Amino acid sequence: MDRPIAYDKLAREERFVRMRAREVAELKVSQGLPPFPDLSSRESIKERVHGIMVGELQAMEGAGRSVCDFPDAPWEFTMDMARQTWDESRHVEIYLRLLEHLGGYAGEYPETTILWRCACAEDAAARVAGVNRGLEGLACDVFNQLVHIARKIGDPILERAVDFVLADEITHVRMGSKWLTKLTEGDAERRRRAIEFQESIDERFNLGGVRREGEHDVVSISIATDVRKMAGFTDEEIERLIKTTQRSQVY
Amino acid sequence: MRALGGWIALTPELSAKLLMGRHVWDLAQHCDAFGQRLPELRSRAQVSEAANPAIVTFMDSVEDAEAPDQTVERLVGVYGVLKPHLLATYREHQARANPVYEPPTRRILARCIDDEERHIAAGDTILRYLAAGPRVIERVSVRRRHLEGLLAAAGGVTGDGLPTRDAPGAAGRPAELSDDAQEFIRLEKTTGSWPVPESLEEAQRAFAEALVAGDGASVARWLAPGLELEATGWSLLRETSYASHATVAFARLGHHRLVKTRLDGPSGSATVLVRWASAAEGWRVAALDVAGRDAVRPA
Repeated sequence: MDRPIAYDKLAREERFVRMRAREVAELKVSQGLPPFPDLSSRESIKERVHGIMVGELQAMEGAGRSVCDFPDAPWEFTMDMARQTWDESRHVEIYLRLLEHLGGYAGEYPETTILWRCACAEDAAARVAGVNRGLEGLACDVFNQLVHIARKIGDPILERAVDFVLADEITHVRMGSKWLTKLTEGDAERRRRAIEFQESIDERFNLGGVRREGEHDVVSISIATDVRKMAGFTDEEIERLIKTTQRSQVY
Repeated sequence: MRALGGWIALTPELSAKLLMGRHVWDLAQHCDAFGQRLPELRSRAQVSEAANPAIVTFMDSVEDAEAPDQTVERLVGVYGVLKPHLLATYREHQARANPVYEPPTRRILARCIDDEERHIAAGDTILRYLAAGPRVIERVSVRRRHLEGLLAAAGGVTGDGLPTRDAPGAAGRPAELSDDAQEFIRLEKTTGSWPVPESLEEAQRAFAEALVAGDGASVARWLAPGLELEATGWSLLRETSYASHATVAFARLGHHRLVKTRLDGPSGSATVLVRWASAAEGWRVAALDVAGRDAVRPA
């Protein structure tokens, strides 16, 4: 079996339409629409949920690859990645059902593969830094906001489902922090590269200023400071993220 | 465990992806339990080795089905051959393990047996769903015979010969709510029909017929103002003749609509992605791209 695989080997059913994230955003802006669903309507919430479902799918695929790609990593690392694969597979199911709940279907919006590309990092330390800390950190922001919006519009199904998934994401961030430290013990250069990779992902997922500090119903993606602290991000890391969002003006 | 984890990304079908995703963690826990038991039996913790080179050949052969159109081969290898063999091996070992001296091993085996029964039943359900049609059934059968031959030649995973206790049939075991293969299939099939507006459906049908007919003038008539035929994927399509078309995906991109169409012909297939935009004169093609081409479609 090839280890790791090229990112373009990601397999999909025909009913999904794959496009570049930049192209999707540009085409929406050209139609006078926000580049990223802003949760201002049920349709917009459905589009956001579809994006999350696809993200969970790619997270499951990425975690599965981490089980496969690093046979020489510590066994406990493999255990954590296997646990994450199971979690993500349940998340995919949860979001598929939420999509049904919202009257949508899998494949209703284009799939972008930025997340999967991040999950293809060749170094295990970079992968956990990028995916578990960068992307699962983003998930903490997005899910925390979705829970708030669901509560506000009176949708307890959406609220509870997303809240349970959020609990898992917090655990995945903690796993990321643990393995970033353990895998780079005594190797400052490897740690520096892994953190740099995570920061490049954070920057990318600021989405040109879409993710920001602010009220849930005012900004498109609000940074979940409290949840991030619970997941083990330091005050300094959160502050740095907020600062980067203030200078991310292009997607 | 590592093969299932790696295959999730290589497997297109959602039902099979979810099946594998669910089972990776169970298998990791099995490995962990056996690995922790090893030092209690005066061996090294979490270190394993193959019984003989032939079992390595068998495992390599199970793993080599990596292509996107080999999902049934992957499922047969793990759920049709390897897991039933493991289940039978566990059962035989459990029958031999002394209840006074070896309760730790027996408890591990009991958990593994329970999980493997559930996995085999779920895998069998997905396999039956995906392996519909005589050509696929034949592929399943060939694959099973090949791997069973390799396994027998290796003397099973222990190298001591195949266990005599067969795995019980997959049917009859109720699925847990969180691990229900029928639900994975239902979730895969939920996109039954797409909410395509009638006017777009008519436009799309006429456009796809023009593509199949290789009629460049008719194709060009559907293009939005400013989009030239030569600037689209048309030049890639006209090299091959097609006999039929089918819509395989329908997505929204703001006010635009994305329609993915498969064109099939005697010498090959192509998948085209069309972005439709609504204008005063009706739906018009804002972009036409070729998303993929195959010489021959898999069965």
